[in-house]
Amino acid sequence: MKENSLQKSRQRETNKVAAVFLAPVMLILVLYVFYPIVNTFQTSLYEWNGISADKIFIGISNWSKLIKDGNFWFAFSNNIKIMILSICIQIPLGLAMATFLDFAGKKTNVFKVIWFIPMLVSSVAIGFLFTYALATKGGMISSISNFFGGPNIDLLGNPSTALYTIIAIIAWQFTPFYMVYCMAAYTNISPEVFEAARIDGATRGQYFWKIALPLLTPSLKSAAILSMVGSLKYFDLIYVMTNGGPGRSTELMATYMYKLSFSEFNMGYGSAVAAGMFLLISVIALFTMKVINGKGED
Amino acid sequence: MKKRLISVLFAATLSLTSVMGLTASAEELRFWNVGAEGNDLAIVEKAIEIYNSTTESGYTIVNEPTQNDAYKEKLVIAMSSGECPDMYTHWSGGPMNEYINSGYAQDVTELFNANGLSDKIVQGGIAQSTYNDSIYAIPYLNVSVSGIYYNKTIFDDLGLAVPTTIGELETVCDTLVENGIIPFALANSTKWTGSMYFMNLAARYGGLEPFAKAVAGEGSFEDECFIWAGEKIVEWVEKGYFPEGVNSLSEDDGQARQLLYTGEAAMSCIGSWYTSTIKSDSEEFFDENMGWFAFPAYEGAEDVDPSILIGTLGDNFISFNCEGEALDAAVEFASIFSTPEMVEFMAECGKIPPTTDAADYITDPVTKTIFEAVQNASAVQLWYDQYLPSAVANAHLDGLQEVFGLTKTPAEAQAMMQAAMEEYNANK
Repeated sequence: MKENSLQKSRQRETNKVAAVFLAPVMLILVLYVFYPIVNTFQTSLYEWNGISADKIFIGISNWSKLIKDGNFWFAFSNNIKIMILSICIQIPLGLAMATFLDFAGKKTNVFKVIWFIPMLVSSVAIGFLFTYALATKGGMISSISNFFGGPNIDLLGNPSTALYTIIAIIAWQFTPFYMVYCMAAYTNISPEVFEAARIDGATRGQYFWKIALPLLTPSLKSAAILSMVGSLKYFDLIYVMTNGGPGRSTELMATYMYKLSFSEFNMGYGSAVAAGMFLLISVIALFTMKVINGKGED
Repeated sequence: MKKRLISVLFAATLSLTSVMGLTASAEELRFWNVGAEGNDLAIVEKAIEIYNSTTESGYTIVNEPTQNDAYKEKLVIAMSSGECPDMYTHWSGGPMNEYINSGYAQDVTELFNANGLSDKIVQGGIAQSTYNDSIYAIPYLNVSVSGIYYNKTIFDDLGLAVPTTIGELETVCDTLVENGIIPFALANSTKWTGSMYFMNLAARYGGLEPFAKAVAGEGSFEDECFIWAGEKIVEWVEKGYFPEGVNSLSEDDGQARQLLYTGEAAMSCIGSWYTSTIKSDSEEFFDENMGWFAFPAYEGAEDVDPSILIGTLGDNFISFNCEGEALDAAVEFASIFSTPEMVEFMAECGKIPPTTDAADYITDPVTKTIFEAVQNASAVQLWYDQYLPSAVANAHLDGLQEVFGLTKTPAEAQAMMQAAMEEYNANK
């Protein structure tokens, strides 16, 4: 009996302390994350220009408009392209770079630093850098083409290549992140595993494919989810470099939402787009997690 | 229970501190504008200094400038969160109407007349500040109209004369192309830059009526003058009148100006702010090489008045979000910009103040030519992308950019613009 009450009071004490320590975090989460999400859904039910005092309740009109909105689904398809290509380019490249660094050891430390640089540059700066590097006249790609006797190439001004060009730049920027991610995962494999494999006569190739890769899989899975969510809510380089253009060819869900809310005075519908993005991203992320973690791991 | 108490306490302190941080003294009027640097900043600060040292209203003005790029979004956010400043600048047109309809701009017709502004400010400027027959804004700082800047040296070398018709302009362009010079320096990743050519072509072909009718829902943006303008642009792109990769060059990075400076391009159809922009890059280059002419007339449209200009008579406009004595004081302050002292100072800074007496103070020959064109203009049409509701403006800019890239036909682009206009009118 006495022991029980001691345990109880101890539990009570823990709760108090936990409450005190969690309060600031909870407060910030509620204020800056939960409340805005709820508010976005709420705003999506109104016709509102974003500044006026009177909002008109229009029920789910914005949502039925969203479902039929070709521009939104086109933007969504652009996001999906970015997502698929980002996962297919960034993670394998990052893994390859990490593997090289892991196998080659300390003497390649200089690559570690150089390869990480793109990650340290701000997106806006990268945007400016590449607008110049890809300039039609005198840019990198055009110069190479000219050298072989070809014409000038306008990658960003052409609706059929602009999106892929930006995907390549995004890959340039974020591959180092996955490199570091994979390097961290490598350090979790103890050296004994490597030594044992080598003693048993495995080549480096066999070690990578048969031993390291399976051990890295859980990390790669979460990297894929990270990349997925990041691609679906992507905004900055597109905003800086093309602002959705030429025409609407590189419009993303996030840039579309931004234009509706802040330049077209359509906060109600902009909120519906934001809420729709939130739902789509959550569903896709949860579904993917379910599928790739399906076989009772973790 | 306790947890809730603590969070409530935190929330209370947080909101309290934020409230304390934002309340300004009641005797101060906050003035938001985009003059964050250079001449613009100097002009606004001078006006504030004059006002604060001479006024008897008991109010003082506080300058709160913001960089141009982030300004519109910042203003929208300020309005939606109830932090709208007492005075703010904007570019008239569709957004101004939104501000008015939402109650963030006061009708200042009486104060406007009481301060004698109706005689001091150019008529077109007053028209662009008017909504439903009331004045809601005061134009200030500059007049920006689009026209063609050209390189006199290149024209002289090739024996070219300033064209007065579009046919002559095309002959000039052909000669330039033959000599390996790009006729027009245009950077169109910014989208509105290409619209300058389109608006002028459409106005020369059909005047301003088709546009007004299309906006009112009586006509259409698929009218032949718009299609013609689009097709002219396609023709010009195909003939090489614009730089290669025109849609990936950025006006914000000055990539069009670079082409002018290096002599790779000979002309540019752009707003008259280019005078001060080029001068601040290189005064010498401007004085030696630059000339200006209004967009030439179209031979096939004899009944269309070629004096019509596209632009804004006031760049930009001040609107007011205060009442009573504060509003009196704010309008009194805005009137300072049309006093002789300020007009002279603005003209010295390379501006064309939107006042009737501006000509007396302008010395620069190019600016003089532009001001004469403004005075002779029978009408000045505000930029499409400012005048139109933003959703329609974006449809216009997106479609037109693809016309420049030859990935959409003019008919497709105009259908897109018309669809956006119809949707807007249907929801109004």
